[in-house]
Formats: sequence, C-alpha cells, structure tokens
Amino acid sequence: MLLELNHIYKWVTQGGRRVFLLNDISLKVEEGEFITIMGPSGSGKSTLLNVIGMLDGFQEGEYAFLEESVHTMKEKHRSKLYKEYIGFVFQAYHLIDELTVYENIETPLLYKNVKSAERKALVADMLDRFNMVGKKDLFPSQLSGGQQQLVGVARALIAKPKLILADEPTGNLNSKQSEEIMKLFKELNEEGVTIIQATHSEANAAYGSRILHLLDGRRDRK
Amino acid sequence: MIRNYFKIAWRNIYANKLFTALNIAGLAIGLCVCILLFAFVNTELSFDSMYSNSEDIYRVNMETSEEYDFETWATMPNAVGPALAQELPQVNKMTRLIKDDFGATASLKIDGKNFNENGLYLADSTLFNMFDFHFIKGNRQLAFSQPKSIVLSQSTKERLFGNKDAMGKIISVNNRDSLQVSGVYRDLPKNSVIDCNLVYNIMDSWMGTNVYWSNASYETYVQLQPNTSIANVQNQASKLIDKYVDKEGQYFTKFLFQPLTKIHLYSSDIREGYSSRLGSISTIKSLLFLSILVLLIACINYMNLATANSQKRSKGIGMNKILGANRRQMLSLFYMETGILVFISILIGYGISFLALPLFRNITGNELTYTELLSPEILLSLLVIWSLVTLIAGSYPALSMSSISPLSLVNKSKKKQSLTEFVRKGLVVFQFSASIILIIAVTIIFQQMDFIKNKKLGYNPNGVVALSVKSAESYQQVQQAINDLKRQTNVESVSAVQSIPGDNESGRSVRKLSTDATGMPISSCRTDGSVVETMQLNLLAGNSLPESIVKGDSIVYTLINEKITQYLGFKKPEEAIGKYINTELGDKSIVTGVVENFNYNSLKEDVGGYMYYKSNNAPESIRTLLVRYKTSNLSEFMGQLQKNFTNNLPNTAFDYQFLDTHVASLYASEEKTAETATAFSLLAIFIACLGLFGLAAFTAEARTKEIGVRKVLGASISGVTGLLTKDFLKLVLIAFVIAAPVAYWLMNKWLLDFAYRTEINWWVFAVAGILAVCIALITVSFQAIKAAIANPVKSLRTE
Repeated sequence: MLLELNHIYKWVTQGGRRVFLLNDISLKVEEGEFITIMGPSGSGKSTLLNVIGMLDGFQEGEYAFLEESVHTMKEKHRSKLYKEYIGFVFQAYHLIDELTVYENIETPLLYKNVKSAERKALVADMLDRFNMVGKKDLFPSQLSGGQQQLVGVARALIAKPKLILADEPTGNLNSKQSEEIMKLFKELNEEGVTIIQATHSEANAAYGSRILHLLDGRRDRK
Repeated sequence: MIRNYFKIAWRNIYANKLFTALNIAGLAIGLCVCILLFAFVNTELSFDSMYSNSEDIYRVNMETSEEYDFETWATMPNAVGPALAQELPQVNKMTRLIKDDFGATASLKIDGKNFNENGLYLADSTLFNMFDFHFIKGNRQLAFSQPKSIVLSQSTKERLFGNKDAMGKIISVNNRDSLQVSGVYRDLPKNSVIDCNLVYNIMDSWMGTNVYWSNASYETYVQLQPNTSIANVQNQASKLIDKYVDKEGQYFTKFLFQPLTKIHLYSSDIREGYSSRLGSISTIKSLLFLSILVLLIACINYMNLATANSQKRSKGIGMNKILGANRRQMLSLFYMETGILVFISILIGYGISFLALPLFRNITGNELTYTELLSPEILLSLLVIWSLVTLIAGSYPALSMSSISPLSLVNKSKKKQSLTEFVRKGLVVFQFSASIILIIAVTIIFQQMDFIKNKKLGYNPNGVVALSVKSAESYQQVQQAINDLKRQTNVESVSAVQSIPGDNESGRSVRKLSTDATGMPISSCRTDGSVVETMQLNLLAGNSLPESIVKGDSIVYTLINEKITQYLGFKKPEEAIGKYINTELGDKSIVTGVVENFNYNSLKEDVGGYMYYKSNNAPESIRTLLVRYKTSNLSEFMGQLQKNFTNNLPNTAFDYQFLDTHVASLYASEEKTAETATAFSLLAIFIACLGLFGLAAFTAEARTKEIGVRKVLGASISGVTGLLTKDFLKLVLIAFVIAAPVAYWLMNKWLLDFAYRTEINWWVFAVAGILAVCIALITVSFQAIKAAIANPVKSLRTE
C-alpha cells in the first residue's frame, strides 16, 4: 500500500458557517496504480491533490503514507517525506522563469545534495529520454506550452518519485500536446510510477486504471 | 549550489531592470556619501597618532575660577611648564608653545622683502624631540644651541627663500628681533595639531626668561613617563597652584591633562589654544548621523522594492520549496541577490566618490585627498560596509520572502501580504519624515543665517578696512600714517585701535567703587581717534573720546556701553557722563560718553561690557588702523591705500582685513552646516523619490487587473490616477504629521545656541509639507498616469 486516506474532512469557515472542501474522503492507493480524479470546478480535486501531496493540511481524519501517519508528523519530517517520494506536475507548468530547461530539471537534485557528476548524468538521461537535448539552454518563455509541460514532467521525475501528482496537467494544452503528455504518463505508469491526476477530460481519464468522482468535496458514487 | 544561487540571483537582477537601476542608483549615492565620510572621519581620528611619543604627550589645560565662568583654557602662565618639569618626577619633558605676539600676524623681513606670517611660534627646544621633527638642514639637538636661532618648515623655507639655501640667513621679525636660520625641518604632517611654520627659542625672549604666574598665554605640553596615572599627575600638578600663587591671584584652580590625540577633536569647549587645525567631534557625529540616514533611506528603498516585487517572486519561491528547497536555502538566495546588488553599488559609489571629492571638499570645507580615499582603512571599510548593508537591506526581504509557503502556488494567502504592506508603508513614512525634517531644518538654518546677516549690530562693519600696524617701528610713524590716510580721497575717517571688535581686546573688570570685590568682567580696547565716527557707533550721551590729551594728563578717558552703565547703577546714560569709575586702569577713569550696546562678538553671545579708552599711559599698544571709506572703485582705492601706507610704514607688511568679512567669518561654521545639511537633504529626498517611483511602478503593476476592471466599468483616467496617487499622498501626510514636531524640537534646540535668533514660523512647516507632497505627487503620478491610460483589454486577457 502506498497511501491511505481515512475519513478526511477539510473545511474553511465563511460567515460563521463551515464550508466543506473535503467531506469524508477515504481512499486507498496501491503502488503502480494510475488514478484519475474527476469532477466539476470547485469539487475539491485540487484540494485533494494538495492534501495527498502534503502541501496542505486537513482538520479531521487520518492519512498514512508508506505506513507512516502523515497527520501526526512534524512539518519538517513531512516535507522531507514529500521531497523524497512525490513529484508534482501543474496545469500552469510552474517552471522557474529565471532558469534554463537544464537548470529547471536539475534543481530538485541540488536540493537533495546530489553530487555534480551524478547530477549531470541524471539530467542528461532525462533530456535524452524527452528528446530535449537541443533545448536544454532555452528559458521556459522560449518554449511552447507542450514543451514546457514536458520539462515540468521531467523535473517531477528527476528525483525518482514513487508518486506523481498531476493537477490538470493538460489544461493549458491543445489536444495533440495533451495526447503526448498522457501517453508519457501511461508509459511511466507502466514502468511502475504511481500516478494520481485531476482532470476534466474524459479522454484523459481513459488512460487511468481507476476513476474517483468528486462533487462538492464528497465522493460521488452515482 | 552557491554557483546556482549566484546564477539565479544574477538573472533576477538582470531581469528586473527598473528595480535594479533604482536600487543601484539609491545605494550608490548613499554609499558614496558614506565612503567620503569614512575617509574624512578616518583622517580626523588619525590626528597626532603618528608621533612616536603620542601616547605619553599631554597638553596641560587649566580650569579657571568662577570669575571666568569655570572655563577651561588651553593657555596658562609661562611659569607652569618649568614648575611641572621641576616638581613632578612623572614629567619627562616639557615644552611651552606660544604664537609670536600672542597670535597676531607677524611681519617678517628678509633681504628687504616683507612677508606676513601666521605660523610663527616660540617654543622650548624640547619641542623638536617630543614631536619627532625631522631636520633636513641643521640638527634637531643643536637647533637652538646658538642664541637668536630660528628654524622653519620646508614649505615655509620655499615660500620665504625660494630655491636658495636658507641656513645662516637673517629673518627680521616685526622689525624687532633679528634671528638666524639654524635649521629646516620637513613639514609637519597635515594631521598634526602642532602647526608651526617657524619656531624660535622662547628662551631668547622675555617670554621664556621672565617667568610669572599671572598672564595666561602659553600652551604647555608635557611628555610623561609611560603608564603614568593621569588622575595622580593632575592632582599633584594642581597642588602647585597653592604653593606658588597666593589666594587672591588664583584665577585658576585646577590643571587638566588632555591627551595629545584628543586635542584635535575635543577642544571646542577649551578656549585660547593656538592651533588652527581644530576639528569638532560634534561635526563628525552629525555628519556621521546624516550619512547613515541617507544610507538607511537607500536601504529602505531596497527593502521596499524587493518586497513589493515579492508578489511576482512568490511563485518561484513556492516552486523551489516544492522542489525541495528549505527556508535556509531561500534565505541564502536572497542574501546572495542583495550581496551582488550592493557590491555593484559599492563599486559605482566608490567610483563616484572620486568624482565627487572636490564637491565634498567644497561643502564640508575639509582637505581630503585622493590618496586618503585609497588608504587600506578605506578599502577595509568598504568590505565592512558591504557586509553591513547587505545584512540590513537584505534582512527584511529575505526573511519575509523566504517564509512564503509553497501553497502560494495553488492558492493566494492574503494575510501575509497585508503585513508586508504595512511594514512597507511604515518604511515609506520613515523616509519621508526624515526628508521633511531635513527640509524644515535647512529652511530654518537659512532663515537664521539671514537674520544674522541683517541684524543691526549697533555698529556698521560695512565700508571699514582694518590695517595692521603692530610691527610699526614707532608710534610717530603710525601717527604720521593716520594723518596721511585721513587726507586720502574717499577716506571718511581713521581710528587707531588696539583691536577690531571681538578679536584682541584686554579682559578687565569694572567695579562699583570700593565695595565691589569681583566686579564685572569687560572687554577694554585702547583707541586714539574717533571710533564713534569710524565704527558708526550710536552715541547715547556725552561725547566721543577727546581727539588729543595734554602731555602729563594721567586721567583715563573712557567710552562705555550701556551694559556697563547699567551695572554701575546709572539709571540713564546721561547720569554716567563725567563720573569717575574704577576700571583697573590707573587711578582715575572718567566717562566721556555712553554708546548703545553693539555686538562686538558673534550673535551667538550676548553683549557684555565694552569700553574704549584713551590714556597717556595706556598699557596696550595700537595694533590696527580702522579706515572708513566710501568708494565706487574698491580696487583702485585699495591700491592708493597701500601706496599711502607703505610710504609711511616702509618696513611693515600691508596686512588688511575688511570688517564685514571678519563679521561673516564668525558664522563660517554655521554657513558650512547649512551647506552640508542642504546637500544631505537633497540626497535624502532624491533617494526617497527613487524608492517612491519604484514603489508606484510596482503598485500600478500589481493593480493592473483592478484598474482594467474599473476602466471597463467606466472609470476615467483622472479617476484611476487619483486612486493610485491617493494612497501615497496619505503616507506623505502621515510623514509630515510625524516630522513637524520633531523638526520643531530639533531646530528650537539648534537656535538656542544663538543669543539672537529668528522665530520659527508656521509657514516653514507649511512650505515643507507642500513641497514634500508636490515631490511625491510628481514622482507617483508618472506611473499612475501610465497605468491609467493602459488598454484594459491587455491587462484582463492575461488572467
């Protein structure tokens, strides 16, 4: 078991009343799964991904990641955990504008204190695999959306995470670019990386092995 | 890792060109000021430390009795030095130092040519050993081995003798002494308070041989055994007063030993020293304060612009954190960025400081040189400034931005932003408060200077030239000169006096007859001829002093001011006329006239008792001729005057001074203060404006979307401009509310230095406030208008 959510509640108080962002969410994820979270805007897809990614907290419930209970963990330990095992891919790519393609991919390794020679080798492999060797010295603004997202995926992969969280990874891309990214995810999944993606698109959902429907922060079992 | 930070930091600096330019401009100006000032302070603090004995050398000062308001004097009787050397075993060496003729300009004659000299001293021969004189010609041990010897500095030798050898030549001093050159020494360092150009042996003069405990005119330096307790020596020395001086004659009560290295900066309250090289620790402190203020304003610019930029940056920071960066790593990134920026600014500021050096010299009136700017201390201080400014300017942005949470990527946390906004507003208020205080201060300083210039002094210094005649060979000669000068066209009147106002009068006391023990201390000035006419004094009662007195007449004729008549108890000036008063001048002194009080001293001091007198047995000599003239062609007039003067006094140098220039020179330091304060306030305001300009740009950018929406909803350009400027104006107004009382308090305190002072007008504050608002308005509105006229479609499309 990779992770397990048990009766997670998350809310904000607005005008004295609780507005639930996540309402009694339970979820078990095995290693190697490819899960799609679907739902309309505001249904809590992103919030759920943030909670799973440990970027955001929650008020009630239990969360275990690799048998360790996340909700009782200290902040420092928690950030160590997600840096080690989780890679993020965003709709808006969120590449660092000031860094080149090469440097963007290299950054997670720097923060993990990987030695220079090893860093070079890993980044070179990654560039090779994504066919971006020729673009390694370009800045994000010089790339197309699809290419930027490729870099985003490469950057998420470089630290060899067990889990990739992708929040609308193709939301800003055209259909051809979308297809490319989704194929890539499929490939990665086949190599053993667990993937959880949030999406509106039925077509994208089809790449996954399991679909989770959300509505108003609640699992929608229709 | 470091290389990576460096790369990111550099690209950030490069990418934000406006931000970088504003910051570098502000910081470079602030740093330039600081560098110049450090160089200046560095030379000021180095004073006298180069002498090998400097740690053991002290100047003996003395504390006077109540009669003289417990003032500390740097000069004392010539008996003090020998007594200290004889009676105190701790005193290794002693030298007395006195300017020839008590500090008046000396007239030197060499091979028939006359020279004026202000640096002619008499000293004991120990001077040369105590202060490491390096003799180029002659020998420091044997310099005064022959009687009537004189030594001079290298540059003085060149001035007086040119390239010719000076050894053995005769210098005639004031047509009185003929002295033979026995040595030439290398010029004393610029940072030495001892500033002798020529020195001759005090033992060749009555000043050294005729030892007495009364007249206090001699500076006395002692070199003590190493590690002597100063408190002890002071005590033992002070005991000598009781031993040598009887109770009535004790007008000083204590000897104070002042370390040599402290003389330059800590002598502003000590009267009567001879050195022309005196600084003031308070000037240094205020300059230091002002430059730190300017630098602080520049640092604040950096903080404000950097945090304003944080909205843009938060995405990158959040992403870095998601990718595994911790807070410490983000801190280092920001410090790296600040460090690089400050480094560039220092390089530029250091460069500008070389260009600005002449201006700096002009404004502060010091003589800083290029080599002093290159000294190792300065280079070291650059390093210190670099780290300090990086730490201070970088602190707030680094701390506030490194704590941005990774969540800022996914949802915007508003709370944090409002805090930084508050701090930012606070910092802008601080900047503008400082600027407004400076504007008010400068205005009031200038008002006061103006007030002083236009204040009626009770005499008219304009159109009077003072000619020095103290080296005249005989009084007949002077008399003859007066008669000739009076006949010259354009000369209205001529008076022979002991001193120009407030310069070289003698201190005496007037007493209410018999009963009065202490009396009133007054300044007395011998004169022949009508000072009332020449000085244009306002005669209240009686007549001016008599034009001539018969031979054998022992009466002292006096012309006194109102202050004295009041002290003596006369209700009206008229009552004093013809009365005998006790003036310490002979048996009988009679009042011939009373003049209105006039400001013979600077307007910082209140008027005291002043007395002109004329007597056959005057103890003082005539040193100066005051000539009142009226001419439209001053240079021609002065040429004639010189011809006339030299005809009558062929062996006296034509040394003249305009009285109004002399009066103006009393306020030279205030004039400098005004100029310095102006320069600093201009810089402060300019830097603050740079910051405001940047802030306005960022605010406009951050609010692009809001502005777009408002425009779509129908807001006009002026409406939007107003919206953006309003916030800044509010800050400037708050700054004004803070600044006004602080400025009032500060300037009130400054004005207390003057006995005569202008009033602080409310309109000064109003003008400063309006000025600040205008400056802010102009700075901000440029950005505001730019944002207001932008096409809303563009700004709304991006989101």
